[in-house]
Amino acid sequence: MTLSAAERERYSRHLLLPEIGAAGQERLKAARVLVVGAGGLGSPASLYLAAAGVGTLGIVDHDRVDLSNLQRQLLFDTTSVGAGKAVSAQARLQALNNEINVVAHAVELRAANALELLGGYDCIVDGSDRLDTRYLVNDACVLLGRPLVSAAIHRFEGQAMTYLPGQGPCYRCLFPESAAGVAPNCAEAGVLGVLPGMMGALQATEAIKLLLNIGAPLVGRLMTYDALAMEWHEFRFRRREDCAVCGVAPTITTLADSAASCAADVPARWPRVNAGELRQLLGAAGSGPQAAPTIVDVREVHEFQAGHLDGSVNIPLGDLSRRVGELPTQAPVVFVCRSGRRSQTACELSARAGVQRVADLEGGLLAWAATVDSSIKVA
Amino acid sequence: MNTVRVPSPLRDYTAGVGKINAKGTTVSEILTDIERKHQGMRFRMIDEQDRIRPHIRIFINQREVQSLGEAVAPRDEIHLICALSGG
Ligand SMILES: [Zn+2]
Repeated sequence: MTLSAAERERYSRHLLLPEIGAAGQERLKAARVLVVGAGGLGSPASLYLAAAGVGTLGIVDHDRVDLSNLQRQLLFDTTSVGAGKAVSAQARLQALNNEINVVAHAVELRAANALELLGGYDCIVDGSDRLDTRYLVNDACVLLGRPLVSAAIHRFEGQAMTYLPGQGPCYRCLFPESAAGVAPNCAEAGVLGVLPGMMGALQATEAIKLLLNIGAPLVGRLMTYDALAMEWHEFRFRRREDCAVCGVAPTITTLADSAASCAADVPARWPRVNAGELRQLLGAAGSGPQAAPTIVDVREVHEFQAGHLDGSVNIPLGDLSRRVGELPTQAPVVFVCRSGRRSQTACELSARAGVQRVADLEGGLLAWAATVDSSIKVA
Repeated sequence: MNTVRVPSPLRDYTAGVGKINAKGTTVSEILTDIERKHQGMRFRMIDEQDRIRPHIRIFINQREVQSLGEAVAPRDEIHLICALSGG
């Protein structure tokens, strides 16, 4: 793939680098990279990859642009709010570099489509915002033998690692199991807007190095970044012989959606009350034989402190197993959280521990704020 | 006394502080000391069978801890790492 005169000028600062040069730039032009998630990480990663001249750049995201995304997701601007992310990102990236081919995949990455989607690319950049998607992407990359540049963020902290097939550990070697519901995402925890800028730019750097086969990749090394302390740390970790997907006797040989990844579109596994029903349950308390339910808020302490339902008690989800003895075993318990995801996990945990009448608030406190009481502050 | 780095998801237990002190000659003793000062934090990292939870890694300086019995030297820095999900 030779470069046109316009491309030679566009990429002239790359061509000046002996590590890249015309041959390297042609390699980038021939390369296909998929960015999973057009969010905080996917924005800088895809912008830099497009600017760098990666010939085919895929963006997978099934979400729409929300006003609250603009604080960190530089692919979008105010006029993009409400538009589909994949298509909107495609337009922005194509405007940045009309020499490349940007492909919009406006689909949710699932077990059923992951191999086909990822299999069409040489290198995968994971900027998804859910743990279950991270495992799905990791497992697909191991099964397909594709390099993966993974990063994640939380508040002021970021982490990143690279997986190279046959050359080092995978994401599952580092964190063998998902802890869905335990690690809150950006929507639930907040994030410094510029933080994913650092980590997404790091991901683009790693992907370009892999495509050019230059430098030392972040293989078997976890990089962490603490924006408050302004510190980077590097940790060495090894491939696990017993890794479920890349180990010597893998148990994951095909992809499956985790139960949590379908939370949005399959019936909840535990009884749910909606916000209006919960208000009635609380309002009826004391006026009849019906005992008022114990309302347990399973959000983190700081979320609870920002605003909560009157009379609710706070047991963060991570503490629930240890503190489950504080719950009544016979009387009804209703778990609440921000969006109704952690509360379902709470139902599961407490039911397993012998709490008999569990339910949770459908749609969480966001639904309560939207339909019952807009004065509640949901952090 | 050893310095312990606390990952962002566990800073609710340390009033937002990212660097705490703990003393002990093994990882287990360090964790016990952490629990004494920041109640509930150990359980977020270690399960009932004294295993490190699968979304948590513990490093002594740059080296990954495999078992809680591993020795900690006086100036070692302990890093608690938690899987992050945000993107
Ligand atoms: Zn592995």
